[in-house]
Amino acid sequence: MDKLKIILFICNWGPHAAYQALQDCGADLPLDVRMIRIPCTGSMSKSLLFRAFELGADGVALLGCEPGSCRYGSGTKVAERNVEDTRGILDLLGLGGDRLRSAMFLPEESDALLMFLKDFHQVIQTMGESPVTPFPREAALPIGKEAAARVMTRHDIFACQDCGKCSSACPVTLSGKSFSPRAMASAIIAGNTESPQVVKDVWSCLTCGLCRDRCPSAVDFPEFIRDMRCLQKGAGKEGCEAHEGFFQSFMRAMTSPDLKIRHWEWLPSDIRTDAASKILFFGGCAPYFDTYFRAHLGIRTRDILVDGLRLLNFFDIHPTLLDGERCCGHDLLWSGDRENFLRLARLNVAAITEKGIEEVVTACPECYRTLAHDYPEQGIPVNFKVTHLFDLAEKEISKGAIAFEKLDRTLTFQDPCRLSRLAGRPELPRKLIERLNPQKFTEMRDRGASALCCGNCAWTGCDSFSKALQVKRLRQAKETGSNLLLTACPKCQIHLRCAMEDPFIGKEIEMEMMDLTSVLARTIRWE
Amino acid sequence: MTSKSHAGDKMEILITGFGGQGIVLAGQIVGKAASLIDHKESTLTQSYGPEARGGYCSAQVIISDKFIHFPYVRRPDILVCMSQGGYDKYAAMIKETSILIVDQNLVNPGDIPADRCFAIPATRMAEEMGRKMMANIVMVGFFTAITQAVSLDAARSTVSGSVPRGTEALNLAAFDKGYDFGLATLKGRRKKAEGKKGTVDEKP
Repeated sequence: MDKLKIILFICNWGPHAAYQALQDCGADLPLDVRMIRIPCTGSMSKSLLFRAFELGADGVALLGCEPGSCRYGSGTKVAERNVEDTRGILDLLGLGGDRLRSAMFLPEESDALLMFLKDFHQVIQTMGESPVTPFPREAALPIGKEAAARVMTRHDIFACQDCGKCSSACPVTLSGKSFSPRAMASAIIAGNTESPQVVKDVWSCLTCGLCRDRCPSAVDFPEFIRDMRCLQKGAGKEGCEAHEGFFQSFMRAMTSPDLKIRHWEWLPSDIRTDAASKILFFGGCAPYFDTYFRAHLGIRTRDILVDGLRLLNFFDIHPTLLDGERCCGHDLLWSGDRENFLRLARLNVAAITEKGIEEVVTACPECYRTLAHDYPEQGIPVNFKVTHLFDLAEKEISKGAIAFEKLDRTLTFQDPCRLSRLAGRPELPRKLIERLNPQKFTEMRDRGASALCCGNCAWTGCDSFSKALQVKRLRQAKETGSNLLLTACPKCQIHLRCAMEDPFIGKEIEMEMMDLTSVLARTIRWE
Repeated sequence: MTSKSHAGDKMEILITGFGGQGIVLAGQIVGKAASLIDHKESTLTQSYGPEARGGYCSAQVIISDKFIHFPYVRRPDILVCMSQGGYDKYAAMIKETSILIVDQNLVNPGDIPADRCFAIPATRMAEEMGRKMMANIVMVGFFTAITQAVSLDAARSTVSGSVPRGTEALNLAAFDKGYDFGLATLKGRRKKAEGKKGTVDEKP
């Protein structure tokens, strides 16, 4: 067996003293263990912990001080939480949560530390090498003139008339950030593809597509931004990933073909699936989001998947599931990592094709767009039909004999950008909302194709301006006097919930949220 | 709900409605489908004359495995009503086992037990499809699904052969709309009988 890669992140204070004592007396330390001294275990975020696994670590141990002896007070507590959440992610990925362990030692507990290391080494040896094999990165090269010209031509950025309609509509500009789509377009046309301002602007855009909707020359700005990000990443420019790139990191880890992902093990037993079905339900990353935000936002986006499946069961459709379902790759593509997006796309298409699937149904607008539009466009042909759950539900419900139970709530609706604007179908969720039986449904001031963004996209560009945008959006929702905000994308829920955590105005903008899929599934009845 | 369950080998069908709703054409389609394609015996008599200019006109269809000696409907096994007047006049004729099919926005079926009454918003559906005059075809689709008096293939091919040329696709879409609604209605009743009303019990 090759040498194992076991990383030991060890706190400078308590356990490091114990570790040094072991080194001083020449203790029999496992050779595969590499020690990295850190100032405090609380400073090891989930993304740093996971990053080790993304880069191929077989085991990671985070050693800190006993609670109460943390030099900074709360370090140990934070570390325990981070480790637990990251273990959850490792379990979902099929890597095994046991590959990550945390432990606490006082400076004089060197014997206990040695025992721990030997035991951990044994555990990792039994589990074997990690199936994650990082792909070598290509060397960064400056953006070539031709590559930039190709992107500009593909999206016909030269058609920009410099009219400013985009800036006057852009929610980022309107929330006060010095950002102008047309100024960026002009700068890029002038050849400044790598100037600091352009790099900043390329990552400020939310790719929500409002400017595309307003542009009299129909410049597809979101896709142009997406391709510019790919160019800039290729040139070694830093992106602007939120959560320290955690999400992009686990999505990259998923590109390892040997990973035995366990995406669906948590599913309630009353859901009926059929392994032989030609219809596949593609869930999306909600289980990962819930695990990551468990202690922070307490959201339950995986309910959308459960309710989506219940809705299918209601229509007597028992779909099959991909046990090893991978992320569709949307966030990697839109944060400039086309290479790994393509790897995920190939693995997903191969897995779906191997099952002989004819139709893929999904409740996530990002998965829907990515599978149906981006896969073929980026050169990964698909030989199955991609259907949004809403389309399927609308078709089934319009056959008749189905009613909706009275819902004692007043509703308003947050449009998902990928469905309402990029796919140009704001009417689809509304048709279904009209069928519901609520007390009242009131539209927000900005709605449909003109709706305001939930504030972030592809886990990038989270800052005070995007927070301001979310607050503005929630105020619009409050303005309708509704008490339940319907969403149609798990990320809208996550981002808006995050804004509600604001310690100063959180109470004022707080609002219960539920996905339209869930409301449909929970009130649908045979007439 | 199948033809066998209530009519033995002979089924009397009465279709009623306003003049101009295409009641007679609906009767023709049902009868033609049964005889020419399903290879059964069938007759059609239609009322025209003074009563057809009032609130109701009717088409009487009999479908049988044997020769039909008397072409009029005495006690309909299936009564289809597309107007209140038609319902009021003929409702008294139905038997305990008869099926009643109505356009739910045009007919109030009074005290007929719910398990024998099937309702569809046929006219509204036809309106939504752009042609109100196709309500009869929607109704034929619904009738086919609920009663199975004629086979689906027979009904579809007769529809496309009976409507004005150039409107076949649209009329078949109308037929399918009614047929799907019928299947969904039957499915909904089956589910409710099994005690499955919705997906889960909890309410948001």
